[in-house]
Amino acid sequence: MALENPDTHGIILKLNNIEVMYHEVILVLKGVSIDVPHGGIVALLGANGAGKSTTLKAISGLLKHEDGEVTDGSIEFMGERIHHLSAEEIAKRGIFQIIEGRRVFEHLTVEENLRVGAHLGGNGSAIKERLEMVYHYFPRLVERRNVLAGFVSGGEQQMTVIGRALMAQPKLMLLDEPSMGLAPLLIKEIFDIITQLNKQERIPLLLVEQNVKLALTVAPYAYVLENGRLVMHDTSEKLKENPDIRDFYLGLSDIGERKSFRQVKHYKRRKRWLT
Amino acid sequence: MELFLQLFITGILVGSIYALVALGWTLIYKCSGVLNLAMGELTLIGAYVCITFYHWGIPFVLALIFTLVVGFALGILTEILFLRPMVGEPVLSVIMVTVGLSFFFKGIVELFFGTDTVVFTPTVFPIEPVYIGKVVVGQVYLWAFVASIILLLAFVSFFKYTKWGLSMQATADDEMAALSLGVNAKVVYALAWAIAFMAAGVGGTLLGNINGLNISVGYLGLLVLPAVVLGGMNSVPGAIVGGLVIGVLQNLADGYLSPFTPGGVKDVFPFAVMVIVLLFKPYGLWGWIRIERV
Repeated sequence: MALENPDTHGIILKLNNIEVMYHEVILVLKGVSIDVPHGGIVALLGANGAGKSTTLKAISGLLKHEDGEVTDGSIEFMGERIHHLSAEEIAKRGIFQIIEGRRVFEHLTVEENLRVGAHLGGNGSAIKERLEMVYHYFPRLVERRNVLAGFVSGGEQQMTVIGRALMAQPKLMLLDEPSMGLAPLLIKEIFDIITQLNKQERIPLLLVEQNVKLALTVAPYAYVLENGRLVMHDTSEKLKENPDIRDFYLGLSDIGERKSFRQVKHYKRRKRWLT
Repeated sequence: MELFLQLFITGILVGSIYALVALGWTLIYKCSGVLNLAMGELTLIGAYVCITFYHWGIPFVLALIFTLVVGFALGILTEILFLRPMVGEPVLSVIMVTVGLSFFFKGIVELFFGTDTVVFTPTVFPIEPVYIGKVVVGQVYLWAFVASIILLLAFVSFFKYTKWGLSMQATADDEMAALSLGVNAKVVYALAWAIAFMAAGVGGTLLGNINGLNISVGYLGLLVLPAVVLGGMNSVPGAIVGGLVIGVLQNLADGYLSPFTPGGVKDVFPFAVMVIVLLFKPYGLWGWIRIERV
């Protein structure tokens, strides 16, 4: 934890040493602190079960619907403590989580899905304007607008889900594994759009991603979670050079060439991050 | 052929009332996964509320509108008082709560209105029948049909074109995703009960106009179950078609089979159909099988 986030110009979201407990017994997050700067992209990395999704749910308030709660620490959004608020209240403040697994409303059409995104406010003409904006970023959705969302392709579903959150005019977007189960070309397309959104609409993003290489390319700053603890955070440039990250998450050897699968020894970490 | 047409048309007209009640049933199931076994009692309460207004001298149409308002309020109240404390409990427990509710409501009705059959006096609709070709139809049936269709259209457009309608469908589809967009699930459940109460109330009122009103109108709730199952539990158009089909089948069974049986075919037949449908189409005609893309 020696390194400070160098992006000092204004923090929009601040997680302050939060602890999350499920069912009042299972401690899932044990002190996680994350800063997301205004207009920035921050990646959250870690293996399965490290607590990445839980962190996002703690921020968006969805945690409370899974019988979990923030038992310690605080979450501040634009200077306001939000961790005790309901999911609805948090959404009203502009935080929208895109849940893992392309959760479209299957029995609504693509356009109806998008309209539900504008649930919190927005009259007829404003909604039309935002629909135009979404179709501008996701031109593929235009011809699929009247198809049931359950029947469009996986990539289009992911676009629908991102577009749906966009309809809400988010002040902060939490993206949970947007690349999951998609073809490489589609992943590239979606990530291009995500970066565009960040640049042009100035929407700050907190990105959870298993594809570490991709995440470190898109996000200039990243945090690494393991077993519910924050084990390191740094600029992506430096993380890419970090031998542990290279070995464990990227599967690269010291000189930078790709290791063969046989050489990757998952159990043999250079040092334990936590002792 | 004339007999067939006669039975068929009467069936459609009565079926529209079933459709209305089935819609309420479907809605609650769709949004919260709860089979509302108190549906029949909701129709009962609505009908008694309406007849009370009517006997106070309020014109029928106005009384019907008041019934809708009262139904809306009662629906929200029921949800808040009885269902909300059960959020997060197993669905079976919630269904048992609705069983309790059905007895509770029945008790309330008996307490306030007694068990004697009451009729709308003066009769709301003229008694002279109407001729459609060679088919004779009571005006009550015709107007009940018109009222049901208007209300059904209103509900369907509510789901299709309004913000809360869409959000209700969204919540039925994926509650967590809807929550993440700031949809308040509590409001959605309350709305579902309110609409169910409204639909049931009008259904009960119309039926009360046809047969007179007593505690047995509450059995309509159970009679509608085959319609709901036929349509596929969570499909709104399915509930409407299911209601109409059950209405027709019931009348045909009554017309053609009653002479050969000691009676009661009319009540049994819809359930026989339900069993057969379940055998061959367990999800009903338009029920949700989870959409799987391969």
